Amino acid sequence: MVAINTSTSTMNVPGIERQIEELTEGKDEPEWVTEARYRGMRKFESAPSKDPIISDPLDFIAKREETPADDIESLDDLPDDTKNLLDELGISEMEQKALQGLTIQDDTGMIDSSFREKWEKRGVIMAPMEEAIREYPEARERFMQLYDPGESKLAAYHTAVWNGGVFLWIKEGVKEEIPLHLFFLIQQEALAQAPHIVIFAEPHSEIKLIEGCTSPILSRHSLHLDMTEAYIGEGAKVDLTVLQNWPEYVHTRPTQRGKIAKNGELSITSVGLGPGKSNITDPRYWVEDGGRVEINSIIMTKEDSHVDLGGKIYLEGQGSTGINNSKAVIMDESKVITRGTINARNSHTKGHISCDALVMEDGASMETYPGLSSQVDDAELSHEAAIGKIKAEELFYLMSRGLDEDEATQLIVQGFIEPAIEDLPEEYLSEIRKIIELSVQGEM
Amino acid sequence: MLRVENLGVSSSGEDILKGLDFQAEKGGLYVIMGPNGSGKSTFSKTLAGHPDYDDYDGSIKLNDREVSALSPGERLEEGLMLGFQHPPKIEGVRIRRFLNDVLENQNGYDNQKAREEAISSAADALGFSGAELDRGINDGFSGGERKRLELMQARLIEPDYLILDEPDSGIDVDSLDLISEQINYLHGRGTAIILITHYGDTLSNLKLNEVEVHVFKDGKIVKSGGSSLADEIEEKGFNRIYEECGCN
Repeated sequence: MVAINTSTSTMNVPGIERQIEELTEGKDEPEWVTEARYRGMRKFESAPSKDPIISDPLDFIAKREETPADDIESLDDLPDDTKNLLDELGISEMEQKALQGLTIQDDTGMIDSSFREKWEKRGVIMAPMEEAIREYPEARERFMQLYDPGESKLAAYHTAVWNGGVFLWIKEGVKEEIPLHLFFLIQQEALAQAPHIVIFAEPHSEIKLIEGCTSPILSRHSLHLDMTEAYIGEGAKVDLTVLQNWPEYVHTRPTQRGKIAKNGELSITSVGLGPGKSNITDPRYWVEDGGRVEINSIIMTKEDSHVDLGGKIYLEGQGSTGINNSKAVIMDESKVITRGTINARNSHTKGHISCDALVMEDGASMETYPGLSSQVDDAELSHEAAIGKIKAEELFYLMSRGLDEDEATQLIVQGFIEPAIEDLPEEYLSEIRKIIELSVQGEM
Repeated sequence: MLRVENLGVSSSGEDILKGLDFQAEKGGLYVIMGPNGSGKSTFSKTLAGHPDYDDYDGSIKLNDREVSALSPGERLEEGLMLGFQHPPKIEGVRIRRFLNDVLENQNGYDNQKAREEAISSAADALGFSGAELDRGINDGFSGGERKRLELMQARLIEPDYLILDEPDSGIDVDSLDLISEQINYLHGRGTAIILITHYGDTLSNLKLNEVEVHVFKDGKIVKSGGSSLADEIEEKGFNRIYEECGCN
């Protein structure tokens, strides 16, 4: 992977300052929030630059959408191109079937949604982040608490220029079976979309959240720099599915931080069948007594895409569990690296890291660096990795039953991926199959 | 007509098939016997278009058409199917889905319902309950289940020529009965059966009117005959047969 030279300007604080001014102008942002932005800006210079691809995030300008969209009562109110995108993701169909929460962030503007009221009655508060930090102390207390803006240049930059995002608050004991959808669309060139998301699940609440990301065809590289902070209360269960279908020029830097209280469960499945030009993440989770975090990453990379999946799980409490699974289908010249770690810091903890990869071509590559460490003598920690090509015998078998090479290859790739996502709604599965069919070709 | 002339195949510099002649007529029954390493499986894989053996000498003609340029799928379309000796496990590729895709490429299965009905009736015939079909191909299958799944596919595809590479090895008695029954069924419908086996016994389960038995040795057919040849092999073993024919 050759680092892409995105840099025409040099890193500079005045550049960020202009962006902050532009973002906050006429917005009536509380002073402490704006002050936090400037803190991020000041940390930017001294923060380490850890990203191998993006040398200067300032090439990705963050700005507020100039004409806020009208309120969305139903999908029919969406702009046509947005609607088409949702169609491509198979969302409209699902939406028509059931009353579901759907909120969409279009570039840096937040499209509001009347679904909010319906959800509020059921005990689920969903509010644009800008509004939430004015309205809810619960949001303020949990805003930007689980990371240090100085930890990296991108973290500092996110702190300074974050825009959009949601606050999702599930009240105590509320158990919601219908999944809630949140969509991000990038529509402008050279745009840094930096939504900030806070999930606050009160004790014994349960929710499923499906987050989708996509973009229509643009001509320049764009940056998606989201940050999710998840607070999982005692005995609460949060199931987050992230579907990414970014085109090949979008750089994505999703950051997740999660605190899982006693007996709480956080399960995150991210499906990146179009992870963009580059996708680098280093999520961190802290798990208390009896709690559990499970990360499942499913990725398919093409062309010269570069994916680097970190992930640190800290098993802080007794009997806590951490799981980090990844499955990758690596094509063309693309590269996938996984470096999940699990740290056992208390007794009776369990951790497992697994990494499976199908390397489709000679130029494609996969590296895995699992890390396990324990400060106790009774933790059960393990890892396994299997990196390989499609077996010629499997291909021959399917072809000998009348499938052509492409069909056989697609079937094997689908079979490799599907067990990891079989809990997704059927509409998504059929969409994922379609994406695989379009992307995968035989190489025999 | 399947006509093989002077077939020569080598792998990793070693000659495996050395000038082999064989032919099969539509509707016929052929048995190929021979010890391990005599080239039986290489022969079957070469016919089916295995990529390791696609560069052969001599000729393989299916209905007067040379198959060398045909992919495995195109050979199937021409009517030639191989039932594997060791069908691979393919995790995650659900059998039901796979069979549906297989049938989509066959004539007369344009609608979903026709495909589902055919799959369910073939499953019944081979002793599968529905649940096994929701698993990955051969995932967690016993030897007998694997071989039954091969015959189930043959039943769905109804090829003109079916090569069965040791369908009777590594299986339980119940599976053997089901498999023999299927071979009889397919043969009765006009499929030519080319059965590779170690066991003369297997033949006793088949309805034999006319059968041609061929004995392999070192990549060639050294002796041919009727069903009595299979009995003779069962009785005497390969070495005595070779001695008697002077092809030792």
